[in-house]
Amino acid sequence: MAHFNRHPITPWLLMAPQLIIVGVFFFWPAFQAIEQAFYIEDAFGLSREFTGLTNFISVLSEPEYLETLWTTMVFSFSVALGAMALALGMAVLADRVIRGANTYKTFLIWPYAVAPAVAGVLWLFLFDPTLGILPELLSAIGIDWNHNLNGNQALLLVVLASIWKQMSYNFVFFLAGLQAIPKSLLEAAAMDRAGPWRRFWTITFPLLSPTSFFLLVMNVVYAFFETFGTIDATTSGGPGGSTRTLVYKVYEDGFVGQDLGSSAAQSVLLMVIVGVLTLIQFKYVEKKVQY
Amino acid sequence: MRYNRPGLDIASHLLLIVGCALFFLPVWIAFSASTHEMGDLYSNVAPVWIGEAGLDNYRHLLEDPVSSLGADVMTLLFNSMIMALGIALGKIIISVLAAYAIVFFEFRFRKLCFWLIFITLMLPVEVRILPTFKVVADLNMLDSYAGLILPLIASATATFLLRQFYMTIPAELVEAARIDGAGPWRFLKDILLPLSKTNIAALFVIMFIYGWNQYLWPLLITTDADYLTIVVSLKRMLTTGDGLVPWQDVTATTLLAMGPPVLVILFMQRYFIKGLVDSEK
Amino acid sequence: MATLTLKQLKKQYPNGYKALHGIDLDFGEGELIVIVGPSGCGKSTLLRTLAGLEDISEGDLEINGKRVNDLEPAERDIAMVFQNYALYPHMSVFDNMAYGLRNRRTPKDEIQQRVSEAAELLGLTELLDRRPKQLSGGQRQRVAMGRAIVRKPQVFLFDEPLSNLDAKLRVQMRLEIRRLQKRLKVTSVYVTHDQTEAMTLADRLVVMNEGHVEQFGTPMALYDKPASKFVAGFIGSPAMNFLDATLEDASEGSGQDATLALPCGARLALRPETTVIDTVINNTLTLGIRPEHLDVLETDSPLPKGAAELNVQVELVEPLGADTLAYCRLAGQTEPLVVRLDGEHVVAEDQQLRLAITPARAHLFGADGRRLTTCS
Repeated sequence: MAHFNRHPITPWLLMAPQLIIVGVFFFWPAFQAIEQAFYIEDAFGLSREFTGLTNFISVLSEPEYLETLWTTMVFSFSVALGAMALALGMAVLADRVIRGANTYKTFLIWPYAVAPAVAGVLWLFLFDPTLGILPELLSAIGIDWNHNLNGNQALLLVVLASIWKQMSYNFVFFLAGLQAIPKSLLEAAAMDRAGPWRRFWTITFPLLSPTSFFLLVMNVVYAFFETFGTIDATTSGGPGGSTRTLVYKVYEDGFVGQDLGSSAAQSVLLMVIVGVLTLIQFKYVEKKVQY
Repeated sequence: MRYNRPGLDIASHLLLIVGCALFFLPVWIAFSASTHEMGDLYSNVAPVWIGEAGLDNYRHLLEDPVSSLGADVMTLLFNSMIMALGIALGKIIISVLAAYAIVFFEFRFRKLCFWLIFITLMLPVEVRILPTFKVVADLNMLDSYAGLILPLIASATATFLLRQFYMTIPAELVEAARIDGAGPWRFLKDILLPLSKTNIAALFVIMFIYGWNQYLWPLLITTDADYLTIVVSLKRMLTTGDGLVPWQDVTATTLLAMGPPVLVILFMQRYFIKGLVDSEK
Repeated sequence: MATLTLKQLKKQYPNGYKALHGIDLDFGEGELIVIVGPSGCGKSTLLRTLAGLEDISEGDLEINGKRVNDLEPAERDIAMVFQNYALYPHMSVFDNMAYGLRNRRTPKDEIQQRVSEAAELLGLTELLDRRPKQLSGGQRQRVAMGRAIVRKPQVFLFDEPLSNLDAKLRVQMRLEIRRLQKRLKVTSVYVTHDQTEAMTLADRLVVMNEGHVEQFGTPMALYDKPASKFVAGFIGSPAMNFLDATLEDASEGSGQDATLALPCGARLALRPETTVIDTVINNTLTLGIRPEHLDVLETDSPLPKGAAELNVQVELVEPLGADTLAYCRLAGQTEPLVVRLDGEHVVAEDQQLRLAITPARAHLFGADGRRLTTCS
């Protein structure tokens, strides 16, 4: 629907700020990243050489990259599934109590506002080997906690912090999804002698599946990118790379290791991953539009 | 007909209360620690109750420069506020204008413009940090508010949301305004902006939180303590080499860092939920 | 008050679709013109080109003899009432009405005066502080009209303004619009798809079909002498009955003795003017007869002179109170024949009826759908 058609200049004036900012801070760097990925630069940045796919090949054949990829997958799905299961449970409870649902909502959504890095620090303190109360409790059941030395424990730490932060986002969507399910459906099921447990699995859960799918994609994207702060503030990718995700490696290789070509190639690979995730999400949006 | 069971209701309430309490636990422990002297703190495991020092740690942090940072926490809060407001308002302003052009005007390359902006949805800043860093360095924007803010505005989430809202405005409303003698700018000011109030408020909440919580970008482009933000400062406070981590200061700063966005979300809860749920569509 | 002239007005959309194919119309001062037609006939597009909301592709539009093709809607001195009212939801009733005047920099006290005048006229005085959301459908409709009235424009444009109201309110508002228009004497163009609304409101009526004007005239002229089968079928309710008919000439050539033969076997002494008779002889024509013009004959009464007799079987009866509609089966005809009887006439389903068509009441249309002038 275009309505003002006798004003040829005005739309360009309106578009200009966004176009300029997107051009300078998005397209220019994005193209540079893509270009850089095909060159190898010497250590001083004085000369560079076009090398085709060499950077990509060396990145993909690097065992460390593949390890990082694996860590990222484990991390992402743990966070996504954990945060979603927890949120769904809380949302189902909040949806059934009716009274006080909004109060519970207020008490559960605030972690969304907490920065990933801040969430990391809060959990770092809970798990601090000398001061933390959780290692103290764990030692009572014979577990020796030190995430500075134990890679799996470090991964668990960042997973828990990320779940804690992401749960509220999922909770908002699950609760909205639950509240959108017509009560008459559940009443009909109750008349068909389905108990609460059965009602949940045969009616509520299938009807929530579009929401769940959307959240799965969003949670994976979150775990891929936004958890950089959580990881950097707590474990810095360690110990021994056990909490190093793909984004963290781009940062390490580019800024710490100054290997620009490799870092750029990794960026491009990440772009592809995000692109695929976004496409999946659009497919979902499209489907939803058709309803 | 009753299909609720009272026993289940009580169990649900109990579970919810326990859940809420567990979610609050990390914050409470951090708060208890922040009210202790460092010596007290390290005498045992982290305390679960408020200590002798009260809010002294907070006062020191806000007033006196922190040695590991080179700035007081008040400055950090101020920087974070500038960055969050800059990102939120900047995004809202450019998005209101761009979405207006895309929805309400007929011009050449309209589709192309839409796609150019739309593509930016796909790549978060984390993916293109290195070249963005170079661009910002070339533009002499390292260690500046502009350098903190502008690259983070370069995405289309807000434009996209506003576009969706604008498309729900009936065509007749625009036509009525044209017949009433309102040109494009007047329509924007008198009709469209007043009608977008709640949507803009929702965007503001989401964008303010997004801006305040940025980590990687400010970490890279600020070396000068004058531009350090509070979220980034935490890691520097934690990095003590061989010394003990001053947890009483770190926890206090942590709580200060989460204060503003949490307050925004609690006071603007209605808009926040609208903003979140809208972004799904 | 103004005259409105359309000369060969054409509209083609950028995608190539031609919405208007050369419209020529002339509206006089203070007239209430109704444009009617089925959806997609171009009536709304025509109204929107008058308003300036759509660009004119070709031809001229003149208000008071002045070409206004290139003027913005606001510069044409027109006001428009929209189908969904298009009230500004965030403004009070007063501000909705005042907005156009403010944009024209009308002095404050004059705005105040004009709005309160219009509010009084429409019975909105008590509601001036309300928001559109707090009003009923009929009240919103009035505000939309008030917004048009306060501007004192040269021309009012109405785009199906009553279609969102319930039936009862629609009749009431129809009368009110008519009364208001007569009182203000502002040239008005009113678009609707409802033929009853069109007949009752119009000084003159434009019937449109597929981007063309089918006929332009007073409601009764269109009812009495529809220019085409399309108009004949559109104006009048229930719609005119159409029967296939063939013109048969017994005397070979002269056409003087030609009569109209119906598939059921009846013959009617009706033929087109002599000038066209040669071209249509032995061709299939369409005979049109309105439900209210079919006369029921008592069992033994004689057939009027020149009339044709139809024997039909009643299939369905719809009593409407004042009238009764009978849907009848006629041999050789798939569509039921609708007969309008007065309410006292008792008919039963499956009953046989003798009907008479008199030539004076019959309409004849050629294969192209145009009306043929007839003599009997």
